[in-house]
Amino acid sequence: MSVITIDHVTKRFDDVVVIKDFTAEFLDGEFVTLLGPSGCGKTTMLRMIAGFEKPSEGTISIDGKTVSSKDVFTPPEDREIGMVFQSYAVWPHMNVFNNIAYPLKIRKIPKQEISERVSRILETVHLSQYEKRMPSELSGGQQQRVALGRALVAEPKVLLLDEPLSNLDAKLREQLRFDIKEIQERLKISIVYVTHDQSEAMTMSDRVFVINSGVIQQVGSPVEIYRNPVNPFVADFVGKINFLKGTSSNGRIVLDGMDDTLDYGGPLTGRVEVGIRPENIHIVRDGAHLSGRFVTEYYMGEENDCRIRAGSAVLRVTADAETFRSFGAEEQVGLRISDFLVFPEGSEDGRGNE
Amino acid sequence: MKREKRFYFDVKWFLILAVAAFLLIFQVFPLVFLVIRTFFREGSFTLEGMRRIYTYSLNWTCLKNTLITASLSMVFGILIAFPLAFLVGRTNLYGKRIFRSMFVMTYMVPPYVGAIAWLRLLNPKVGVLNVFLKNLFGLSGMPFNIYSIPGLVWVLTTFYYPYAFITISRAMEKMDPSLEEASRISGASPLKTLFKVTIPLMLPSVVAAGLLVFVAAASCYGIPSIIGAPAKIYTVTTRIFDYVSVGSAEGLTDASALAVFLMVTALLALYAADFVTGKKDYITVSGKSVQPSTVDLGKWRVPLTILVILFTVIVIVIPFATILATSFTVNMGKSVFTPGNLTLKYWNTIFSRKSILKSTGNSLTYAVSSATLGMIVCVVMAYLLKRTNVKGRKIPDFLITLGSGTPSVVIALALIMTMSGRFGINIYNTAAIMIIAYMIKYMMMGMRTVTASLSQVSPSLEEAARVSGAGWLRGMKDVVLPLILPSVVAGWFLIFMPCFYELTMSILLYSDKTETLGVELYLYQTYHSQQTAAALAGGILIMVTLVNVLLSKLTKGKFSI
Ligand SMILES: Nc1ncnc2c1ncn2[C@@H]1O[C@H](COP(=O)(O)OP(=O)(O)OP(=O)(O)O)[C@@H](O)[C@H]1O
Ligand SMILES: [Mg+2]
Repeated sequence: MSVITIDHVTKRFDDVVVIKDFTAEFLDGEFVTLLGPSGCGKTTMLRMIAGFEKPSEGTISIDGKTVSSKDVFTPPEDREIGMVFQSYAVWPHMNVFNNIAYPLKIRKIPKQEISERVSRILETVHLSQYEKRMPSELSGGQQQRVALGRALVAEPKVLLLDEPLSNLDAKLREQLRFDIKEIQERLKISIVYVTHDQSEAMTMSDRVFVINSGVIQQVGSPVEIYRNPVNPFVADFVGKINFLKGTSSNGRIVLDGMDDTLDYGGPLTGRVEVGIRPENIHIVRDGAHLSGRFVTEYYMGEENDCRIRAGSAVLRVTADAETFRSFGAEEQVGLRISDFLVFPEGSEDGRGNE
Repeated sequence: MKREKRFYFDVKWFLILAVAAFLLIFQVFPLVFLVIRTFFREGSFTLEGMRRIYTYSLNWTCLKNTLITASLSMVFGILIAFPLAFLVGRTNLYGKRIFRSMFVMTYMVPPYVGAIAWLRLLNPKVGVLNVFLKNLFGLSGMPFNIYSIPGLVWVLTTFYYPYAFITISRAMEKMDPSLEEASRISGASPLKTLFKVTIPLMLPSVVAAGLLVFVAAASCYGIPSIIGAPAKIYTVTTRIFDYVSVGSAEGLTDASALAVFLMVTALLALYAADFVTGKKDYITVSGKSVQPSTVDLGKWRVPLTILVILFTVIVIVIPFATILATSFTVNMGKSVFTPGNLTLKYWNTIFSRKSILKSTGNSLTYAVSSATLGMIVCVVMAYLLKRTNVKGRKIPDFLITLGSGTPSVVIALALIMTMSGRFGINIYNTAAIMIIAYMIKYMMMGMRTVTASLSQVSPSLEEAARVSGAGWLRGMKDVVLPLILPSVVAGWFLIFMPCFYELTMSILLYSDKTETLGVELYLYQTYHSQQTAAALAGGILIMVTLVNVLLSKLTKGKFSI
């Protein structure tokens, strides 16, 4: 069953369209991520679900009840949802206990029950010893967990999270990703998660909605989206990729500015754009599709990132340390392509962040 | 669902509309009426009123006096304030903090207190300082005469330079130190940097500060009425007062022309001040900023400190001490330290005489009401401004700013003309008209503090309350109000204080039943007993000091003045 239904929702600020004809269904117990670059309208979509913005057109239903439409509007306090804000929005004048207890107090739950439920939530978010602390005495990660606890305490069916991890350091981010996922599975709630970080989206979600300029580009499981992106924008946004232009004919693609060709069994002919992920390029001595020369190398441990010039293009390639060591600095190398994507040239193109 | 939606808008909209209606009826309408009355007579447009300002010599003289005294006060105010602001804000002068709070505190003291003090010091016959200087240097006559244009300028300057000081200090504190450092790195000496970088960068705020002093001095009633009137030096404000007390239709027409002229001048000057500084960053909130580097005064440190001490003694210590001394003196012809000349009589009087107690009670009531109602308006309007995107949300803020820039005499005159029954509202001679006048004039202080603190409360804090299930009102009560409480308290006092000792509007609007502290003090000073007036002034001084200390304690030094 679907908990949230978004039906042809468009949002304009003055005359600027920020969300365009957005239609989606989020299922019970599902972890859905809205993924897209900064300014694409993710927060706006989330705020419309929460009731902080009204859609210009379209309807939104939560749990079968219409909450936003042309003539119905339920204010946020009556939508029974939980939300974690990007800035946490932990109230600085209330201690941890009171912050988390607030939604229960509003619902006029008896004192005894409040303290039991808050204690339970404090355990869930690993803050049991901190209930008397003021927010200013907590670290960023702890504040974030207070916000999470407050959003969960009233046991909402839906939890909205707006880039909840973006202000944290890399290590804490990993930890909390795991925590959120674990809590979601335990409490069996639906989560709508907003982020512009593809690795967050890929590791946590059941389904990812990739958005660009207010328009849904693709919907699917992380694996589907990574393996079969519908356009270069999605391919680029969900992972590292090299784009090369070429011409496809007779089962071969001739790459511009290179002597080399790739075998291609797909349907596209004529001018095409070829996307190759770094991990699908292998440095080899025999059986190469392309040849190139090292430009730069970045040592990052076992997996190394390097740039290799092939014809007029510079390719990003990942290779293990052993491979690096076996080649000399300016030595000619062979590149074998194990997998690649082909798009018609001039298709939807939102790249530009490299 | 639909009903709840309406309810949620209703509360907010009801408050907003109520405030808008208040401002429209009691501020916009009276001021517009004043303008209309000036330019339309018997239904047709006329410039006769304006023409009379310069053709009728009485009007013309008082306008000249106002322009001369206000301009001179502006120039001297800047000449005093800039070096002080620099020394206190940017150098290693000794005792910077103390000096700073002393200069800022003068801002809170009602200017008529200064007039009373200087009258006592520089009276051409018996002025204490005059006598002292005469004996010291063996002069044949008294060196100074307070009853003169220079006397007026002196008192105006010493009471309005704090406006310039505060404005310039703020700008200096906010200045990016790297601009000066860049000049030093390029090879300029500290002095050269001061003249080539610091002063040019300060220029807009210096101009703004000057205009503020000009407007304050031109709008002032207390000082010219206490010092100017006995010397037959009339200014626009005292002239308007005379016209109103005579009350003839002809006189009121002249009064409204003068008032419109004064108002337009003041508002244009304040607009220009905002324009040159490019931003309304008002004087009530100290922004956290990078600490600009301090200039080492070197061998000048001691002499300059002595100079500033001297200034403080002359401009602050002596007048305030004089007020206190006068309040304990039996015979004003002799020193307070002459045996038998010391008395507590006048302090007893101000705490026992019925009429004084009643006026003080009235003032307390009106000031508390104005501050409380004013803060309700300010909180609602600040919320409207910062948290909604309602069209026209800037209008109330604009009106509140406009009200505070409008000279007090003008507000009072406009209210008298429109609120005495002519248009169906008759609140003349009531407490209501006092409270309304006070609110119009002083609400801006509250508005600024609340707006500033509301912009530091992230909207998501409030939204978090909403998703937690709290309605708009509940969210305001549980989250927004507690967070802005210090600024609400500070704003309350910033409105309360000037209302408590207000003179100009009160003296135009009071009746037997609604006499206020300021009026009482003025009447004692002019007609009855200067010692009693001094005791009242002393009481006000003590109160100002206490409130100031309380305020900075209460808000942990964030708000003062
Ligand atoms: N209240 C508003 N009025 C006008 N325009 C707005 C408003 N809120 C958002 N926008 C515009 O809508 C667009 C989408 O904003 P939104 O905050 O939804 O982006 P986002 O995808 O969440 O970006 P980010 O990743 O940076 O948070 C932006 O271009 C923004 O400028
Ligand atoms: Mg966002």
